[in-house]
Amino acid sequence: MRSRDGNDNLSLRLCSIILFFSLTLNAGEYLVSYKYIVKDAILYNETMNISHAMKECYGTPQKELILENTSNGNLKKLISKNSEEFIEYIHKLGLNVEHNEITSNLQNSSTTILTLKTTCFKVDFNDNFARITPLK
Amino acid sequence: MKYSMLLIALLSVSSLIGAEHIHSPDTQAMKHIIEKTNAQLAHAHAQTAEARAETRKAQAHLAKANATAEQILKENKTIHISVVGQGVAPMNTSSPAQAYALAKRAAIADAYRAIAEKVKGVRIDGQDLIKNMMVKRSTIRTSVKAMVRNANIVETTFKEGLCEVEMEMIISHSDFVR
Repeated sequence: MRSRDGNDNLSLRLCSIILFFSLTLNAGEYLVSYKYIVKDAILYNETMNISHAMKECYGTPQKELILENTSNGNLKKLISKNSEEFIEYIHKLGLNVEHNEITSNLQNSSTTILTLKTTCFKVDFNDNFARITPLK
Repeated sequence: MKYSMLLIALLSVSSLIGAEHIHSPDTQAMKHIIEKTNAQLAHAHAQTAEARAETRKAQAHLAKANATAEQILKENKTIHISVVGQGVAPMNTSSPAQAYALAKRAAIADAYRAIAEKVKGVRIDGQDLIKNMMVKRSTIRTSVKAMVRNANIVETTFKEGLCEVEMEMIISHSDFVR
């Protein structure tokens, strides 16, 4: 009714507020950690932990990863669907390498542990894609 | 009696002369052997001198290489590191694709280890237990701890359950100075 009276300003404000909240509510901060263990050249264990950040994360956004979003704001589902791509991306970010090798009486055994320490990721879910950015 | 004494004297003289005649070729042979051994010794001396010269050359080459390795880490220079990691698929995989994926993951970890070893170095610890003049246990422990980032996969091959991943990384001076 008001718009008919020429009060366009209020409707514009309302629209912009709705748009802003729809964008910000879909953006979230997540804590992700990843670890995998290789024993004697065979993959032994692989773990990835994902959780919502309980506190606000601080840091500057690093290089982003864009994934196709078909999981309605669920990061776990999104990552499980694009696990290979996400793990490759994590490798590029940097992993801590810990390798121990023991040769006892000419018998060799080795353990390699690759770890991504708990890192905060800012995730923006949009209609067709999700933008994942680590904060460091 | 006189004749017998004369005979004995004659015999002894003849035996002495005979002995001289017998011994003379032996001494010649000995001389020959000594000459030979001397020649061999001289040859061995020459060989050791050559070997020493070669080791000196190798040491100089190593020193040069070390000097260049130190120079690479200077400003505006990069190091290109290339490694090959190997991984094996576990026995109880449900499909060849899973075997490939797991073996590749293991190979990547091995390649990361190799990169860390090249860049940061390896800590080595050895221990030998000797009891009653016999080696009871011999243990060598190696460990690497590093943080690797920006390593890229160049090539992946999977053959007969063994996965090989070639990875490369370019290190620049600015990566270390932050």
